[in-house]
Amino acid sequence: MPGITRAQELVYELKIEDVMTREVITVPPQISMTELREILREHRISGVPVLENGVLVGIISIEDLIKALAAGEMGATVEKKMTRDPVFLYADEPVVMAVNRFRRPGFGRFPVVDNGKNLIGILTRGDIIEGLLKKLEVEYHEEEIRHYRASHIFEDIVSDCTSLILRYNIVARDLEHAGEASSNIKLVLTRLEIPRQHVRRVAIATYEAEMNIVLHADEGGEIVAEVQPRQIVIRVTDTGPGIADIEQAMQPGFSTASRWMRELGFGAGMGLSNIQSCVDEMRLESPPGTGTFLEAVIYLNREGEK
Amino acid sequence: MKLGEVVSIVEGTLLFDADLNVEVPCAGAADLMSDVLAFAEPGSVLLTGLCNPQVVRSVEMADMVAIIFVRGKHPPPETVALAKEKGIPSVTTPHTMFEMCGRLYEAGLRGCDISCRIDLVR
Amino acid sequence: MTLEELCRQIPLEVRTAARKLGAEVTGGYASDLLSCVMAKAQEGNVWVTLQSHPNIVAVASLLNLAGIIITEGIVPGAATVEKAEQEGIPILMTELATFTVVGRLFECGVPGVD
Repeated sequence: MPGITRAQELVYELKIEDVMTREVITVPPQISMTELREILREHRISGVPVLENGVLVGIISIEDLIKALAAGEMGATVEKKMTRDPVFLYADEPVVMAVNRFRRPGFGRFPVVDNGKNLIGILTRGDIIEGLLKKLEVEYHEEEIRHYRASHIFEDIVSDCTSLILRYNIVARDLEHAGEASSNIKLVLTRLEIPRQHVRRVAIATYEAEMNIVLHADEGGEIVAEVQPRQIVIRVTDTGPGIADIEQAMQPGFSTASRWMRELGFGAGMGLSNIQSCVDEMRLESPPGTGTFLEAVIYLNREGEK
Repeated sequence: MKLGEVVSIVEGTLLFDADLNVEVPCAGAADLMSDVLAFAEPGSVLLTGLCNPQVVRSVEMADMVAIIFVRGKHPPPETVALAKEKGIPSVTTPHTMFEMCGRLYEAGLRGCDISCRIDLVR
Repeated sequence: MTLEELCRQIPLEVRTAARKLGAEVTGGYASDLLSCVMAKAQEGNVWVTLQSHPNIVAVASLLNLAGIIITEGIVPGAATVEKAEQEGIPILMTELATFTVVGRLFECGVPGVD
């Protein structure tokens, strides 16, 4: 349930001032309970902070009003019936503080003050829920916008042939970040709304190529993915030892990997044949002593099948 | 078979909270990531004895949906963090890969090989 | 159950050491990591893997394994085959994936070793 997890994170990320109601209705202590009833009814609210000369002195709610009504004391002043020294929240506290306070029974709303203890807002449970929902919706919307923008990137560009070039530097022996380039290529292609099956083929091919660089090329290398309207071209360059016998290297099971590479789960001699089975065209060049150049093309036909 | 059922058959412990209400069409077992990339059907679950972050990367690239770390191996924090980030439910089980494949197969889960693909078409 | 019976049931294609299929299989182990196999597989076990490197024969011989099943249609190279014949280690081949082979072995009553 990713939504719930995100909401749980948000109660720590969001501050009370992000979700509170800023236009606070307040009352002075001298008005009667009858007058208070009119104010609550008019604004359709169930409680208000009580301010005397701008200073927060109490809070009064509909429960206090009901008690006064039952006791026949509607003529009494708010000052007599209010809760004095009310519990308040600071505006820059995380929302989780308020969530914890609301767990205690008897609290329907909290006044919110700034660091000078001036009243600047009020917070109810409803405010928290609304604030979280809004934020979740905004985040969802932002991903939608990114998706939308990316998928329409080519539409307003006028040229005979437009393409998008994604370039990634791959660091040798960096096992911690190995795979990030492929992961990013996959993300970009997904946002571009390239069909899933194509994205998967590109991701697998670039990942195998990326691991080849990480494991074999002493100086690292580069992966370039060029997204064209009808095809994706992947170019992988490295300055590694090169490949002595390309035909042999393409055989499934052939490997020059050392023991540690195998124990990492690579080097079973499947990499190049995996790439070949994912792509529509593949060209591999490795003149002795100059590293390796691999070019692979994936056609973007509608079915997504090779 | 639902992922939740898979997790209970392997007596797996979840490494972080995850949605287990996902239908898993088939499973694959391997310690060689190139093999994972070659055989994996999108949507399938991986059983592996490897624990490094590249397992998560491979699963991500191949559009698989969950990882079962066998033989009681607890993957290092960087692997768990990456799996969480990528939203790939991960469990660890004390049993061997052999035992787990056996039990899941017995319970009706199929492998990601040609016979599985034929079964799916049927 | 012997390897010979398993070859019929699964089915498996015999690549090397056909004369040594009569041994009773004591259990099964599945892994592609040689160090794990070295640590855990027991004498008389059948080992399921898609590794085809000559080192698998050395490991199997060292542990007195009943045989090696290479999955996914991978064909072992000449060096592996030669070494397996020398050491008398049966190599059995199948197009099936590791998961399925193990599932069928399990159904035939070959237990896992914990």
